Amino acid sequence: MLFGLAYQNLWRNRRRTLLTMSAMVVSVSLLILALGIFSGMFKDMLASATEQYYGHLVMAKPDYHQRRDLYATLPDTILTLPTLQNPEILGRAPRLRSFGLVSWGQTSQPVELLGIQPLAEATVTSLHDQIVKGRFLEETDKNCLIIGWGLAEKLNVRPGDAVVFVTQAADGSIGNDLLTITGIFRTGDRRHDNNLVLAPLTWLQNLLVLPGRIHEVSMRIHNPMTASVLASRINAELNTEATILDWGELLPEMREVISAYDVSRMIVVIILYLATGLGILNTFFMSVMERTREFGILLAQGMRPWLIRQLVLLEAMILAIMSLIIGMFLGGLMTFYMDQVGIDLSKYITPVTYAGGTILPRLHAVFDLGNFLTPAIVLLMVSLAASYLPANRAAKLNPVVAIREE
Amino acid sequence: MHINPLFFIPKPVLFLIFFSVLSVCKIVKDEAWALDLKALVRDVEQQYMGESSVSQTHMQVSTKNWQRNLEMQAWSLGRDFFLIRIIEPAKERDIATLKRNREVWNYLPKVDRIIKVPPSMMGGSWMGSHITNDDLVKANHIDEDYTLRLIEETELHFLIECLPKTDAAVVWGKIIYKVRKQPKVPELIAYFDESMQKVREIYFDDVQTIGERTIPLKLTVLPLDKPGEKTILFYREINYDVSLDEHFFTLRSLKQR
Repeated sequence: MLFGLAYQNLWRNRRRTLLTMSAMVVSVSLLILALGIFSGMFKDMLASATEQYYGHLVMAKPDYHQRRDLYATLPDTILTLPTLQNPEILGRAPRLRSFGLVSWGQTSQPVELLGIQPLAEATVTSLHDQIVKGRFLEETDKNCLIIGWGLAEKLNVRPGDAVVFVTQAADGSIGNDLLTITGIFRTGDRRHDNNLVLAPLTWLQNLLVLPGRIHEVSMRIHNPMTASVLASRINAELNTEATILDWGELLPEMREVISAYDVSRMIVVIILYLATGLGILNTFFMSVMERTREFGILLAQGMRPWLIRQLVLLEAMILAIMSLIIGMFLGGLMTFYMDQVGIDLSKYITPVTYAGGTILPRLHAVFDLGNFLTPAIVLLMVSLAASYLPANRAAKLNPVVAIREE
Repeated sequence: MHINPLFFIPKPVLFLIFFSVLSVCKIVKDEAWALDLKALVRDVEQQYMGESSVSQTHMQVSTKNWQRNLEMQAWSLGRDFFLIRIIEPAKERDIATLKRNREVWNYLPKVDRIIKVPPSMMGGSWMGSHITNDDLVKANHIDEDYTLRLIEETELHFLIECLPKTDAAVVWGKIIYKVRKQPKVPELIAYFDESMQKVREIYFDDVQTIGERTIPLKLTVLPLDKPGEKTILFYREINYDVSLDEHFFTLRSLKQR
């Protein structure tokens, strides 16, 4: 009975209700879109760091990440450890790392060379999707490599050219070999594009005289946000010389950025809803004032004051829920568009590398349940808070005075 | 009345003149010392290197992970030209390094390519030893890149402190050079980094007379940041003042076997 009454009351001043509702719809849908774009940006950043290089989890000797010691190796049989067969882990890529010189003609450049297994690597990182010239490595390739775009520019090489790689092998000898470039990748992250080359793992093991050894196993997992939990769970089960680090430990700045984002998301929500909340407050004060006489009669007939309060609050809730349904639908629609199509900004800005990740020059949204739930819950709370004062005022009316009011 | 002309000059000015004359004398004296030290360092180096030389050297490198022995042949001309080629082990035979002025080139027979060592890699290890490419380039320019100062003279030794000149592109913060007086041979060179922490020492011993020269045949490099590691260079054979000219030290001869 109360619900029906509240609903009907809402439509007694159709224009005012629709105006308030449209303000709520616009704020909800724009908020959902903005948060979606925010999330998209951070997902790009995280992906650039993890999916282009690190992976979500990295297993290595404890201080390998800091020291990059050539001799801190693991046997490649570690890949078959039962603990690494956890269904949460979607891909495992063994890697051996070497620092040396790549030389072509008169130019030489210092590089980081990763020895990889092409098929396994493709299950962890997305470099195979970022080939701009030539092709990614294949399992049958021997003396081949793929090279970063910036490095290729500096050396002035193209696919098919044979470059020299020189480094110091594990036995102290001078490892050197000719490698044919099969492809050039471009990630947008300058450090990788200017410095990184990938070659087959077995070739590098031979060159470095480290047969059957690897430096790390890089892994991709189902949900990157659970990486630290998963890492500590697997570490507890691991019974080897190796430990697993998650991306938050590999890239502490990135973790900071993401938690800072959670705070700034709340700030944006609060600012936008403060304005919306004032609109709701205004609407309900108006509607309560208009109905002073009516409330007076209801009270005189014996209606309990708390029922009056509930009636007004219910009106606000119904308004908020209707706005939410429309707003979330519209917001979802816009997010869907920005997810599928997005806006390309590469004409105006270049990729920015920040906190270990790269922000790509595009506006692109992603769906994240939190980006729908936060605006929804906060809007309901704001409507309740904003209509509480008017509702209280209506409940506390003196029937005798109220009935006389014109 | 006779008046001393100096009497008219106020006393402070008199002092000033006096002291400036004194300090000029002092500068001249310091300069003379510096020239002397330069000559001394050059002299020692000249004794070691000769105008030109051909030598056969054994190099032993020990690190905590491996030990290796190399047999090498080397040619040098003055302080700017230097060619060295590996004879043994077989796996690395004919790998060669050429230094021309301040550039270093490596020849890799396996891939038949010549590679110029880029500036960013000059600090890197040469042939896996504790000698850097920078050492090859800059070791012989101490008297040009550093200001020399005698800090101690005993009956047997000179102790010379070398501080980098402000415009010199060098890697060390300080070098201490210990030279024996009789015979005039280097005994120890200590290298300090920019925070004046001693990071490396080179010892010279096994002093022998080769022809009319007296030189230490053994050179030990101790990197102090890696305890237990060392590189030992030993001259098996050395011939001085052989006929070599600049044309010998070209990229083409780097490739020839």
